[in-house]
Amino acid sequence: MDYTKEYQLQIEKIREALGCDIIALALVEPAENLHVLKWQYISGNISERIKKVVLQSGKGIAGGVFKNGKPILVADVEKFAAKEDLFNYPILKLENLKSIGAAPLWHSGRVVGVLLGGFREPHLMTPERLQMLISMSKSDIGTLDGKELMWN
Amino acid sequence: MELISGGKDQLIDLMLKMYENSTEAIFFFTSEGSTISMNPAAENIMDDHVLEQLKKGAENALCNVCRGYTSESDLTTCKDCYFTSSNHEDFTSFQVFLETVGKGIVPYAATFHVIDAEKGTRVFILRDLSMQFETQNKLQQNKMMKNVIKAQENERKRISRELHDSVAQELLSAVVDLRALKYMTNDTEVLKKTSESTATLIRLMDDIRNLSVELRPSALDDFGLEAAFRSHFKRVEESFGLTIDFKSTVKQTRYENEVETVLYRICQEAVLNAIKYAQVETIQVHLFEEGDSLQLNVKDEGAGFIVGDHPMGTGLGLYGMNERAELVLGNVTIDSEIGKGTTVHLRVPLDEKREVAK
Repeated sequence: MDYTKEYQLQIEKIREALGCDIIALALVEPAENLHVLKWQYISGNISERIKKVVLQSGKGIAGGVFKNGKPILVADVEKFAAKEDLFNYPILKLENLKSIGAAPLWHSGRVVGVLLGGFREPHLMTPERLQMLISMSKSDIGTLDGKELMWN
Repeated sequence: MELISGGKDQLIDLMLKMYENSTEAIFFFTSEGSTISMNPAAENIMDDHVLEQLKKGAENALCNVCRGYTSESDLTTCKDCYFTSSNHEDFTSFQVFLETVGKGIVPYAATFHVIDAEKGTRVFILRDLSMQFETQNKLQQNKMMKNVIKAQENERKRISRELHDSVAQELLSAVVDLRALKYMTNDTEVLKKTSESTATLIRLMDDIRNLSVELRPSALDDFGLEAAFRSHFKRVEESFGLTIDFKSTVKQTRYENEVETVLYRICQEAVLNAIKYAQVETIQVHLFEEGDSLQLNVKDEGAGFIVGDHPMGTGLGLYGMNERAELVLGNVTIDSEIGKGTTVHLRVPLDEKREVAK
C-alpha cells in the first residue's frame, strides 16, 4: 500500500476538521536515512523549505515534543518564551506561524512522530483545538499511529 | 655652570616659556608647604576653592584634591605622605591621583623634590597619565581577548575530539553489538525492541557528532577550509531550512591553522547573524584568494542595519569578529543598509608561503 498518499490525505482531512492554516506531520525516517526526524507531510504550507530541515531531538517544536512526549501549545508566538531565538524554530519562521499546537504520536511505548497544527494569526490555537489534535493523533485517524514506519 | 649658547638670559626665557605653556602641572612650594607659584596647567586642573587656598598658601591645601599616591602595597595611600615626608629621595618619581576639574580622578606621574637646598624650596611636577593608562588598558584587553579566543579554541578542539573519537566510537560498537542479535535469536518481539533501540542509539550518535562538529569541526583540521565550510553549510541548511550559495576558488589549499580557524569562525558568526537577523532565505558566501590575500565575503539581501548603531543581541559577535581578524593581521569590514542587506568582508594578508604575512 502506498502510505505516502494515505498520510497526505489524512493530514488534509485533519486540517479541514480543525480549520488550521497548516498541519504538519514529522516522522522518523527509515534506517537508510539514519532515522532522522523530518517534517514529511505538510498541508497548507507556503514553501517546501521546511521539509529539508532535519529536526534534532530536544530542539525546536518537533524536537521538544519528540523528546518529552508531551503536547505543546503556543497560543501567541509573540509571547513565546523563546521569542528572541525564533531562528531555532524554523517551522514558525518559514511558515510564518503565530499560534501552534503540537502532539506526539506514540507507538509501542515510543514517540515516533509529531503532529502539528498551526495558524498564521495569534490565539487561534486553543486548548480545545489542541485536545482535538491530540485525540486525532491517538485514534481517530486509524492509519496514523506510526506503526507502518517501524517496518519500512 | 655651563650654559647653552644664548647665555643665561635665553635660558631664563626658555624656562619661563616652558612654565607658561607646558602641559605638565608645575607647583613650587616653600619648605613649610605653602605655595609659592603654580603654572597655568596646574591652575586649570584645580577647582576654584582649592585654587584660592593654594594661592593663599594655606596648609594642606593640596590634600583637598589629592587622593593618595601609589606605594608598594596600595594603589592609593596617604601613609608616609610625599608632601610631608622628610625622605625626599623616595619621591623623585611616583604615581599620584588627583581630583581634577571636569575630568574626575586622574592618575599622574609625579615628581616632588627639593630644588633649593638652602631655602628648602620644592617643586612638584605632574604629568597626566590617563591617556597612557587607556592605551595600556586597551593593549591588555586585546591581549586577554586573544588569549581567551585561543584557550577557547583549544578546549573546544579537545572536547570535540573526545566526543568524536571516544564517545561516538563506543556508541557505534554498541550499535554493532545490537545488530548482531538478529543472528542469535528468531524472537520477533526481541528483534523489534532491539531495532527500536538501534534507531535511538543511531540518532543519539548523530546528536553527539553534531555536538562535536559544532564545537570544532575536525574537517577543518583534517581537510581544510573548503571542506569544513561545505559540511558546515550543509548542516546550516538542514537546521534552518535556508540555502547557502557557496563559491570557493581556493580548492584544497591549506593555510596556517590560525588563519583557517579565524576564517571559519568569522564566517560562522556572519552566517549566524544573517540567519538570526536578516530574514532571508539565501546567503551568499564567497571564499577566494586575491593577490597576496585570502578573502571571504558573506552577503545577504535582507533586513540590514545601521552600522555603528546599537546592535541587536549582545553586540559581542561583531566585536569578536574584529578581534579574531586581528589575530592574523586581517581586517573585517561590514557594509549594511536597511532594506538592502549586509555584506561582511574579511581580508587576511598572506606571504608567498601562504602563511600570515608577519
